[in-house]
Amino acid sequence: MSSAPRVLSLEERKRLKNVRIKKHNLANILLHWFNVASWFVLLPTGLAILISPHFRVVSLHFNNILRSMFGGLFNLLYFHQTWGLIWIFVILFNVILGFRKYFVPFSSRNMMMDRDDIEWFKMKPLQVLGFKAELPPQGAYNAGQKAYSYVVFLGIITIMITGLIMTFPEYMPARWIVQWALPLHFLAVGGVVAGLVVHVYMGAIFPEEKSAFFSMFTGNVDGLYAYSHHYKFFKQKVAEIEEWEKEEKRKIAEEMLLQREREEREKRQEANKEIES
Amino acid sequence: MATKKKYGFVIDVRRCIGCNACTVACKEQWKVPVGHSRNWVLDMGIQGSFPDLTQTFITGQCMHCDDPPCVAACPSEATYKREDGLVVIDEDTCIGCGYCIPACLYDARFYNEEKGVADKCNGCFDRVEEGELPACVATCVGGARMFGDLNDPDSQVSRMIRENQTVRLVTDETNPGPNVYYIGLPEELYSEVAPHPSELPAAGKVWKKGVIPVVGLAVGATVIGQAIAFGAQLLKGESIDE
Repeated sequence: MSSAPRVLSLEERKRLKNVRIKKHNLANILLHWFNVASWFVLLPTGLAILISPHFRVVSLHFNNILRSMFGGLFNLLYFHQTWGLIWIFVILFNVILGFRKYFVPFSSRNMMMDRDDIEWFKMKPLQVLGFKAELPPQGAYNAGQKAYSYVVFLGIITIMITGLIMTFPEYMPARWIVQWALPLHFLAVGGVVAGLVVHVYMGAIFPEEKSAFFSMFTGNVDGLYAYSHHYKFFKQKVAEIEEWEKEEKRKIAEEMLLQREREEREKRQEANKEIES
Repeated sequence: MATKKKYGFVIDVRRCIGCNACTVACKEQWKVPVGHSRNWVLDMGIQGSFPDLTQTFITGQCMHCDDPPCVAACPSEATYKREDGLVVIDEDTCIGCGYCIPACLYDARFYNEEKGVADKCNGCFDRVEEGELPACVATCVGGARMFGDLNDPDSQVSRMIRENQTVRLVTDETNPGPNVYYIGLPEELYSEVAPHPSELPAAGKVWKKGVIPVVGLAVGATVIGQAIAFGAQLLKGESIDE
């Protein structure tokens, strides 16, 4: 288990508050907001498709309003399926093209559970229930986020596959595949949405996580937030920044050396020319 | 006064000679794939004892019910009841999941492999709109099949229902309001054509009884949890450095 962060002085807190630490790549930010737009569009249209009294989970008015907005079931279905295909394409495009640069580093660094995460699962419920429980230091994502990432990962794969089955049912070898695709699609969406409620609340409404919310636009969190909420991530980033600074300094020193050599060579050549003339 | 139309069929069992002209006409009209049929003629065999013998044929198809269980089973209403009472399938929106097939009490639906959609009698709605009779009715040799507006007291079907004793294929447990009226259906044969209970396929049952409650509980629990957290947040207020 790694050590907990020590209590900071006011000066240190003020200084850290103004430190920017990069958390998200531009690719991830763009994918995140595309995904947000997609959920805003696909969830209501998907719910509006389900009008059967056996499977309806929203009021009949909601179904009818959306059907009227789109001009009937065909257009609603067509919109849902088309946007769904675009959603699949964009996500796969990102995962495949960014496989080495983004996907593997992201998932290997951020999805694996360690002993601190197990400790977090013991302490968090106590904290939620109002007991004074100290949470272990966390990486870029806390244990709850890691656990949810598995739901999302499996959920998205299920949503994509079952969605494709229902969009292209004519290519399915058996009808039971289409029959089971319907409840699986619903279950996967339901699982993701259950966690999404927490995700949206924590990300957009909860004041302590404000820095995380704005990081989804700027890519950066402030140092104090990282220090107090994601201490292991903070330490790792500080080390990375030191490493990066060392490397940059080395590069600059090297370049300066080269430049000096070049200038000396030029001087020497000019001197030689003068002698020759 | 123009009342809302409610199309229905009357089938005079006594006049059916089992020639199957109706099934052929239907297949021709709708290019129904080989091995399937939207309507049928059941040969009920010979009844009575020699020399007092009769042979009965019972023809049928989709009953265009008032409260069709197949429409309820369709997740998206790709199959629906028209204003004029005919229950039809929209082939553009049907994904062929087949939830409607076991939902029908009369086994009137089948899966059309060629089109990848559910299929059944649609009352020849396009012919009817043009003022013609459905293909099966137009071709019926013995005049056993009749079609018309049940809400119009002057229509042939209304007159036949008024003037004859009719039965509809319902039981005490299941009565979706079928709009096919049988005349002269022998009582002893009724049990052989009686409807069976409407069912969902296994996936639909799991969806309705398992998946929806589980998802509802999960989403409900997180929504309530976060609502409580939000309430606590409002009561607490924000500090200067947040």
